[in-house]
Amino acid sequence: MTKTLFALILAMAASAVQASDPDRTYKDWFKDQKLAMATPPQAAPRQTAPSASSPSSSPVSTERPADQLLHALLSGKVSVEEERRIGDKIAGNFLGAVKLVPDDGLQHYVNLVGSWVAQQSERPDLPWRFGVVDSDDINAFAAPGGYVFVTKGLYRRLANEADLAGVLGHEIGHVIRKHQLKVMQKSQFIALAAGLLGKQVKDENQLIQNLVGNGAEIMSRSLDKEAEFEADRVGMVLAARAGYDAYALPKVLEDIGHVSDQDSRVALLFKTHPRPIDRFDHLAEAVGDRLDNLPEGKSLDQRFYRLP
Amino acid sequence: MMFKRVFPLLLAACLAMPAWATEGLMLRDDSLRASASASAKSVGVAAKGSKVDLLARQGGWTQIRAAGKTGWVRLLSVRGRAPTGSNNALAGAAELTQQRDPNKVVATAGLRGLNEEELRKAQYDSREMQRLEAQAVTGEAARRFAAEGNLVAAKLDYLPAPKPKEAATTPTGGFEF
Repeated sequence: MTKTLFALILAMAASAVQASDPDRTYKDWFKDQKLAMATPPQAAPRQTAPSASSPSSSPVSTERPADQLLHALLSGKVSVEEERRIGDKIAGNFLGAVKLVPDDGLQHYVNLVGSWVAQQSERPDLPWRFGVVDSDDINAFAAPGGYVFVTKGLYRRLANEADLAGVLGHEIGHVIRKHQLKVMQKSQFIALAAGLLGKQVKDENQLIQNLVGNGAEIMSRSLDKEAEFEADRVGMVLAARAGYDAYALPKVLEDIGHVSDQDSRVALLFKTHPRPIDRFDHLAEAVGDRLDNLPEGKSLDQRFYRLP
Repeated sequence: MMFKRVFPLLLAACLAMPAWATEGLMLRDDSLRASASASAKSVGVAAKGSKVDLLARQGGWTQIRAAGKTGWVRLLSVRGRAPTGSNNALAGAAELTQQRDPNKVVATAGLRGLNEEELRKAQYDSREMQRLEAQAVTGEAARRFAAEGNLVAAKLDYLPAPKPKEAATTPTGGFEF
């Protein structure tokens, strides 16, 4: 029942925004809210001048920062600053639930490996931040704008630096392909629906709050299965580009596949991701003979930072 | 009752293979090659769905024994059953036993996993964010770190998504992976 209602609201909001022949009522409503939903595509470049544009430089603009962000999300062109503000909120909330492992050596090491892998991507200049969080869960997380977290439980299963590079590469894949933002592009209809119900979107913080939801709940939402497969493909390639053993990631997946699905440490991972063996199979399918001539990468077992 | 379930498994595992080998399952047909290279001479074929013994690994290649023949197949053509070095059959059975042991269940439940409730209730932690910021490294530091490990950046295209013929189900060959 709730689901049906939810789907209906979503569909209504979607048609209001996306249809070539939008529902007049909603259009009017958006105008009333000065949300500028019906702005033609050529207005899109706004997002290249984010919140700094609010002073007198654009006197005609009646948009508030929240409108700009909403607009950017709708056009699929969120600026790095906006992406970062969304990611900061998610990462900060996430660290409210689970703390960083109090080991500076470990955190520094993970940032070095992660930054090196991220530099092999098309978004090397994001302010990448990597952290190992104090949980026995076996999982890893990403947030928009360059935040990547690995749990201690997963870290302990890794055998070498290449394994770590593969795992971080998968999360970097989510960030550079903007998988979470794409989900938000859909979920912002929820914010709009909330607005329809009388909650006005007053400022950007509130909008981000609406988008992100409660706490770090967004971290427990599933991404599209295809997004996970894509992140695996990207992770493998980025690790290989960085000079690491490209096959470390599938080997890690194989290992995680051996953990019983009754084990609470993998409950969230298994709930939000395709089965590890399916991910392994997908990589096998994607790779085929494409990497036959790839030089053997490094594992760096010796340098791997081992937890006490 | 528990014994009844585990015993046949154990027996089957013991009969199937020597205790020291790691068992694997072929995910697709692949040539068995004389050495770990695509250009190496083919010495046979390992068929999809067949159980093989995993002997060694080199780069993207795994050495297997299949139907009495030894050779190398692509690493992603075969999936291992348990980590190398452990007596997988017995370890697997032990794991099964432990899961059904009430004491073990209590111990597992005692571990605090990340759950949705906890994540939903989480409040922004600016101190932890400052700690995270403090560990950030520059691109230059990362490049130096890579050079110290003799890591050399290589060119490699992204892998395109495979064509959606994935409906083909994974063979499980009578035992769970």
